[in-house]
Amino acid sequence: MKAYRLLLRGLLCFFLSCNVYALTPSDEARYTSLIKEIRCVVCQNQNIADSNAPLANDLRQKIYTMVEQQQSDNEIKNYLTARYGEFILLNPRFSKLTVILWLFPFLAISIIFLIGTKRLFRAHRNQTPLPTHHYFVSRE
Amino acid sequence: MKKLQLLVPYGVLILLITMLWYELFYAKPHDIPSPLIGEQVPGFSLPTLSNDTLTPLDLQHHVSLLNVFASWCSACNLEADMLMKIKNNYHVAIYGVNYKDKREDVESWLKKYGNPYRKIGDDRNGSVAIDLGVYGTPETFVISKEGKVVYRHVGALDEKSWDEIIYPLVKKYESL
Repeated sequence: MKAYRLLLRGLLCFFLSCNVYALTPSDEARYTSLIKEIRCVVCQNQNIADSNAPLANDLRQKIYTMVEQQQSDNEIKNYLTARYGEFILLNPRFSKLTVILWLFPFLAISIIFLIGTKRLFRAHRNQTPLPTHHYFVSRE
Repeated sequence: MKKLQLLVPYGVLILLITMLWYELFYAKPHDIPSPLIGEQVPGFSLPTLSNDTLTPLDLQHHVSLLNVFASWCSACNLEADMLMKIKNNYHVAIYGVNYKDKREDVESWLKKYGNPYRKIGDDRNGSVAIDLGVYGTPETFVISKEGKVVYRHVGALDEKSWDEIIYPLVKKYESL
């Protein structure tokens, strides 16, 4: 019985000391959201939170210690992009390189809107007034 | 004009197909360009196998190669002969970063394949590899006299990449 208790205590200690979340709750949240935003460069369409690649593990460790050292999200991202390139961020930042990527949807929507309204106006102008329309006006 | 307009969707379709075709068969998504090119080698200090230290200062005053390798990496076995050849025939300084390896394993590996390195830094936990933006072994950096990264080669060095890319670069930066 004594041995059993000792074993239980040993196991408990083991799990407690292995707990990665020795951070404050806000830092822990920061760490978990950061590792979801970093690409695993080995297995390219996975983030490092989901990846079991050894390099992903090392990068998680690195980010963990950087969070522990109270480095900001931006500092951590800058550190990683200086070494692995913008590619490592799953959510590309707005820059000269990504300007087309970010602005193209808005550009496309406005072009479609412009063409659409132009056509609509043209169609409207060419239309002869409908009888119902006529009726409505004549009642006034 | 109307006919021309009808062709537009087909044009877009063909453009899309060629782009996707390229991405599918010709793009190399695993060749990630290194942002370190043109930059100073990040600072590090590694213990060497001969109880010395390897720092970026060692890489200065001559054009050198910095090769990240491991005894457990099969592609490193493939390039071992090429590295020996570079050392013996071209006399270019090669420094090694031994990535996540055991001392006795590297030592027997060096006995088997030969030792092309002037110094070998022992990167036991892979932290220097992260500092260099390494994502696999082997990777080879060409370092200028000023200690700046000139080029990175991903994967095993072979005759072709040495003759066509790396040796011309070494010669060019040697003469600067």
